[in-house]
Amino acid sequence: MSVDFPARRFYPATVNPLSIRLPRGWGLATPPVAFLLFFFVLPAITLFVTSFFAAQAFQIVPDWNVGNYLRIFKAAGFWKANFQGLTNGFFVATISVLLAFPAAFYVVYRAKTNLILYMALLSWFSSYLVRIFAWRTILGTNGMVNSALINLGLIDAPLDFLIFSPTAAIITLVHIMVPFALLILVSALQDVKAEYLEAARDLGATRWQVLTRVILPMCHKGLVGAFMFSFILAAGDFIIPQLMGGRDGITSGLLISGQFRSVGNWPLGSAMAWTLMSCLLIVYLLFVGLLYVARLSPGRRYH
Amino acid sequence: MADYKSNIPRLPARTSELMANAHPSRRAFLLATAAATAGATLGAWVPRSRAAGTIGGEVEMMAWEGYTMQNEAADFIAKNNIDLRPAIMGNQDDVTSKLVGDNPVRLDMVEYSNGYGAQYDELKIMQPLDLSKIPNYNAESMFPPFYEADMWRWDDETWSIPWVWGLDTLIYNPDTVPFEIKSYKDLLRPELTGRVAMLDNPLTTFPQIAKVAGYGDKYPLLTADEMADCFEKLKPYRDQTKVYATSNGDVVSLFTSGEIDACFCVWNGVTVSTTEQNVRTIAADPIEGGAVWADSWFIPHTAENLDTVHALINEALSPEVQAGMCTATASNTVSPLALPLMSDDAKQYFDYANFKDEFAKLKIYGLPPLTSDEHATYADWIQAWADFRAGF
Repeated sequence: MSVDFPARRFYPATVNPLSIRLPRGWGLATPPVAFLLFFFVLPAITLFVTSFFAAQAFQIVPDWNVGNYLRIFKAAGFWKANFQGLTNGFFVATISVLLAFPAAFYVVYRAKTNLILYMALLSWFSSYLVRIFAWRTILGTNGMVNSALINLGLIDAPLDFLIFSPTAAIITLVHIMVPFALLILVSALQDVKAEYLEAARDLGATRWQVLTRVILPMCHKGLVGAFMFSFILAAGDFIIPQLMGGRDGITSGLLISGQFRSVGNWPLGSAMAWTLMSCLLIVYLLFVGLLYVARLSPGRRYH
Repeated sequence: MADYKSNIPRLPARTSELMANAHPSRRAFLLATAAATAGATLGAWVPRSRAAGTIGGEVEMMAWEGYTMQNEAADFIAKNNIDLRPAIMGNQDDVTSKLVGDNPVRLDMVEYSNGYGAQYDELKIMQPLDLSKIPNYNAESMFPPFYEADMWRWDDETWSIPWVWGLDTLIYNPDTVPFEIKSYKDLLRPELTGRVAMLDNPLTTFPQIAKVAGYGDKYPLLTADEMADCFEKLKPYRDQTKVYATSNGDVVSLFTSGEIDACFCVWNGVTVSTTEQNVRTIAADPIEGGAVWADSWFIPHTAENLDTVHALINEALSPEVQAGMCTATASNTVSPLALPLMSDDAKQYFDYANFKDEFAKLKIYGLPPLTSDEHATYADWIQAWADFRAGF
């Protein structure tokens, strides 16, 4: 019996099926997309599937169940650590954006050179761990801040909350995140031309109105990007909370790390990671919703 | 007249055009795929080390920082053309994670601390040693507790060989603590509130926790309820704690920067490091006792250069290397033959003159089992430890 290949019917004899027209520029986009597919999407899916498996002594047992999520749901320690991580993320993102926005405004609209930007980015030239231990020196019991305050007679004893506390972790994380936020905000503000600001002023807008009705809505993607970038990195970080956060600084990142490294329970670690990712997604939706309600998102203004 | 340009072959200018113009035949495609697959498969079988029976070549080592023997066995390594490629482990988990699973990493020679042997046996990631290639491992050149003990030998095979050991105990700064610490209970005195560190090291911290809670004799085989009771009784110590240190080095840093006055349980070699930085610390001798650790060399199932690894393990037990290691790392030796070569400073960490009696006071603990229906497992302990640290 002969088999008819139906594909032949869809293409003229002179056209090769491989010569389907692809969108212009796909060749340029393919490498990063492929990289993300292979090194993020695929592992994330694998992680999600694994989270429904069981584990026994460093071995994954493909026994479909939701036990890991039920265990997480009932684990008060995980939720406390998770809340600590999210709290870190919120304060770090908020402070980083608040610090970076005026600096970005200055770089884009006032400064004649990018010197300020480069100075802010200079801290990237030092290692992550070096910066953490530098902050230990600055904030320590006998560190620069406490010593200065004692010598000035402003305090009698070192301030305990400055080191090995969530405050110390947040200060260190802000130092790490501000350059990232600054870079994203500078990029976003460069799309808001100075002429728009002048036009708004010519039409009678106050400075506050220019900020809230022109600048913030037009750079809202950069704002969301800077906030979420700082938030996600800070909430998921477990090195700084461990080295600076002290007794109360444990975050869920450390617990997730422990499941993969110490206990060998990859399914539970995967479930924890996905739970954390879901929490971050909820925060993202809340933040975008907040901007929408505050009439600061272009979705309301321009579309 | 035809346009001359029409005779010039058109070169693909875009990636998409290049891809579209590439029409490999089915046969060519299959051949190329088969060749690539064969290359990738056969490549993995190409031997990378020397032939059996000879010493030399690459050795992928994983060890604690300072324990790679690069200095102490430098002559032996150079003489035998050994390309020692050490990787430093931050904790024992670094080793475990590399050797388990379907894609384990090639490692020829690795250290583990006592207690992990049972776990690694359960995970089947070790291979037995050929003692005929390790002549330095004999009853005369080893202190009895380290020769053919159950911790390193079972099923009529020797799986690892201990080569350095030491003591983890309560360390404090006598210049800032206004009393002598004789028991762990002294850490609960109000003068030390917020001045204590706990080290995140399951191997020696867990047995100390069990001792403090009164379960020292039963550890590591405690029931889930007994384990929960341990952490319940440890809560007052948590209230005294300022920070959880990540490593021995971190503890040194905390002492020297004046952040802490005492550490719940850490390697007694820390006292040397702090003294070098002008901060005096001493190892207490609490009534509850300290925790012994003993590092041993084992050959993972992924090892390739077996003869060279056996030779290196043998060299690790030589008196010269033993003396060098103990001097450099403030560890204790497993070989009485090394004692004449050791300085007085290197011998200060243990009363070798009364080895039998002094060692009898100590106990080398294992770790909780990986799987058990009767006892709290290692995972249970890790989870309880994490919850304890998080405040539960």
